[in-house]
Amino acid sequence: MPGESGVQADRYHGFLFNPADLSEEVDIDLDRRREILYFVASMDRWTHWQALDVAWNASVAQVRDAYRERAKVFHPDRFPGLQLGSYRNRLERIFRRLTEARDALAEESARADYARRTAPPEEVARSTARQIENDARARERRARMARTNPLVSRVARVRELLDRGRQAMAEERFADAARDFMTASAMDPTATEARTLAEQARRKASSGRARELWEKARAAELQNDLDRAQMFAEAAADADPAEPRYGVYVARLALGRGALETARSRAEATVRSAPTLATAHEALGEVLAVQGEVAAARKSLERALELDAGLAGARERLRKLRWSFLR
Amino acid sequence: MSENEPFIGIDLGTTNSVVATVIDGVPRVIASRTGQTLTPSIVAVARNGKRLVGHMAKRQAITNAENTAYAVKRLIGRRWGSLEVEDARKVLPYELVPGPEGADIRAMLGGRAFAIPEVSALVLAELKADAESFFGRRVTKAVITVPAYFNDGQRKATRDAGRIAGLEVVRVINEPTSAALAYGFGKQMEKKVVVFDLGGGTFDVSVLDVGKSVYDVIAVGGDTYLGGEDFDRRIIDWLVFSFAQEHEALDLRQDKMALQRLRDAAERAKIELSEGQQAAIHLPFLASGSDGKAALHLDRQLTREKLEDLTRDLVDRAIAVADRTLRDAGVRVSQIGEVLLVGGMTRMPRVQQAVKTFFGREPSRGVHPEEVVALGAAIQAHALLHPQKGKEVLLLDVTPQNLGIMVVGGYFATIIPRNTTVPTSQSHLFTTVQDNQTTVRIAVLQGASDKAMENELLGEFVLEGIRPARRGEIEIEVTFDISADGIVGVSARDSATGTRQSITVTATSGLTESEMRRILEENLDEQLTRRQVGDFERLRDRTRTVIVEIEALAPAVKEALARSRFGKDAVLRAEEVVARARAAMESGDLQQMIGVEEQLDRALQLFKGLAGGAPPGGKGA
Repeated sequence: MPGESGVQADRYHGFLFNPADLSEEVDIDLDRRREILYFVASMDRWTHWQALDVAWNASVAQVRDAYRERAKVFHPDRFPGLQLGSYRNRLERIFRRLTEARDALAEESARADYARRTAPPEEVARSTARQIENDARARERRARMARTNPLVSRVARVRELLDRGRQAMAEERFADAARDFMTASAMDPTATEARTLAEQARRKASSGRARELWEKARAAELQNDLDRAQMFAEAAADADPAEPRYGVYVARLALGRGALETARSRAEATVRSAPTLATAHEALGEVLAVQGEVAAARKSLERALELDAGLAGARERLRKLRWSFLR
Repeated sequence: MSENEPFIGIDLGTTNSVVATVIDGVPRVIASRTGQTLTPSIVAVARNGKRLVGHMAKRQAITNAENTAYAVKRLIGRRWGSLEVEDARKVLPYELVPGPEGADIRAMLGGRAFAIPEVSALVLAELKADAESFFGRRVTKAVITVPAYFNDGQRKATRDAGRIAGLEVVRVINEPTSAALAYGFGKQMEKKVVVFDLGGGTFDVSVLDVGKSVYDVIAVGGDTYLGGEDFDRRIIDWLVFSFAQEHEALDLRQDKMALQRLRDAAERAKIELSEGQQAAIHLPFLASGSDGKAALHLDRQLTREKLEDLTRDLVDRAIAVADRTLRDAGVRVSQIGEVLLVGGMTRMPRVQQAVKTFFGREPSRGVHPEEVVALGAAIQAHALLHPQKGKEVLLLDVTPQNLGIMVVGGYFATIIPRNTTVPTSQSHLFTTVQDNQTTVRIAVLQGASDKAMENELLGEFVLEGIRPARRGEIEIEVTFDISADGIVGVSARDSATGTRQSITVTATSGLTESEMRRILEENLDEQLTRRQVGDFERLRDRTRTVIVEIEALAPAVKEALARSRFGKDAVLRAEEVVARARAAMESGDLQQMIGVEEQLDRALQLFKGLAGGAPPGGKGA
């Protein structure tokens, strides 16, 4: 039947049958032959579900039923006294594959495990959604419990505060986070985690506020409102003492406005807190130069250039100082 | 294959065998030519050299114990020197000797060594002859049952027995599965079934998941050395021991005839106690006293309680096996939908009670627990040979024991674990361990132990003609397969070149191929004479009935002829034919009988016509 062989049947997903296999002289009808050939060609890449022709995650009972049905179709004993040719071996292999699938799925925990490993993407999404929903429900349950039981309530409240604090941290609302962590730490002094988290959050919170203030200072400076700029910059430097660049900025602003004392004390403080920051030394050097303390100024500027050779302002100022000295 | 070619299912039991078939879709047991459904699995060689089988053999067992083989199922497929065989040698009245290759066992009967499959074949041939007389034609196709726990060697030997008996063994199936098949016949079963099969020599327990006419075996367990024979032996030992206490330590077991009488009495008492509470054991003149004293008699009462006491551990052993099998199956007692009792020993009330207690439910049993296995075999034969749309059954059985090989250090490496659904196969890579090694020896074993020596050796396979190469360079893929019969096959190929590797099998417990051929040729001759004798007897019986009919009609015929003007010589001619038929019956010559048969038939037709008033020479005359 050369006309029929090699036909692409839709249910076989475009599988191309070998005409020689289809035309072998055996007592099996053509449809069944196709089914057998398709099964053998596909069975190694099929999941156990596909081999048994059941839905993903079918129950143990469904698996057993399907196995029986499929075994009735493909078991060599179902072709008694018939000429099977090369199909006998295929039937045996199919039966073995069916048995393998059944054995893998007939026991509940193994079945569930296999189901997890073979879950299709949409199922994974669905189960993740379900997981989230379950978590929400669990939270709600905890909250309900918290309302009725004071002891549980205290523990639950601490956990809730920590959760909320972490959430705030993640959203960069450091001030809120710090508040929550501090409250939690106060409610449960044994929770060291709450204390460290509170510390972290507070640092992050103040650095955030300092940055805001610094930005306001920059804005004011651009508008030539140097008084306001000075005020904001000082506030920023106070809010985040760990960030020396604010100090340098304040010193520069003060120097520009002629507030030499302020400029000097800020510059000195900054150099003390960040002795390796070139710009801090540069700022101090400039203040000292204006104040006429040439030797000290030159020392600071040399230190600044030592730390960062690319500071053009410092280099220029130093050259002038050297010249003035030579003169 | 013709649509109505007869086929049979045979339960080849330790003590009794049964043959059955399916007629018009209904399974039924075939009674023997003497009208019994059970044929004792006993073979004897009488003093005149005649071979006796079944009831005939059993009847003369007491007077000819040395030449009467019984319970050979316990020996079939076993190796000479194995523990089981050594045990059996101690209690069996007939002599066992090793086979020519030293691996199998022979039974000495009438001075001739019989291979165990040969002995079983005589029982099978008897059942085959019964079936042939039932069908009135040749029967060759059969399904034979074996205990589920039988290993490869035992199954092969059983198949060999079928071949020797002139049967084409379509399939060897497991007894419990077969019983479940018969029990489920015509029912729409959809549940888990446990078959508790305590027979004459072996104990089997199988857990099946039945549904949609598929009998899917989940797990099997058993003990090939636990059965009715062991219960009998406990009674015998008890009798022998108490007799020895009374009579100066006289050991009755030394006397083969006394032992055979004890065996019969013990079996009878055991059966009696399934109904009654007490059984009398009375054996007069059992032994002659020493120093010319008067003959000694044995006279005892065995109570049911005492019997239960004597055999308690045997019952416990069976229950322990059932427990383990259930665990293997991963099935809890509460999930079992049916417990089926099979085998004669399950008639014992204590056994039933123990089963009921363990499973927490009333066990079911067929009408005839001894026949149900043969009926199932017939149903399976029917399914395999004459499938019918819509009524199909499918058996999915498992392998009872781990199949594996011996590895370095004498350990056993499992390749196909027990309770794997058959047919199945598994491949294993072997490599050479020496430079230019040309052969690889693989010892294939079956059993549950980690140590190779403690398992049953199925055979040694030698891979030959391996191409010379450095060690480890050659990889040979050996495929072990287990057929639906539970029989192991081994094939090998060089995994680099893909060429098949030749294999020779040595040291099996079975018959060698040449020996098999010799036995087959020998038996063919014997069967031919036997068949002719059988045909003659059948024809003689028939002739006798025809003569009786003719003689019964004679007065009416004479009366009718007296009123007629013709046909006077008809009576004379008929008388002559009858006389010749009588002579042929006396002669024992088949050809002479066949020659006279047609004339006799014609005479009968003529007489029937005349007596009925119809004109002579009519249709059929």
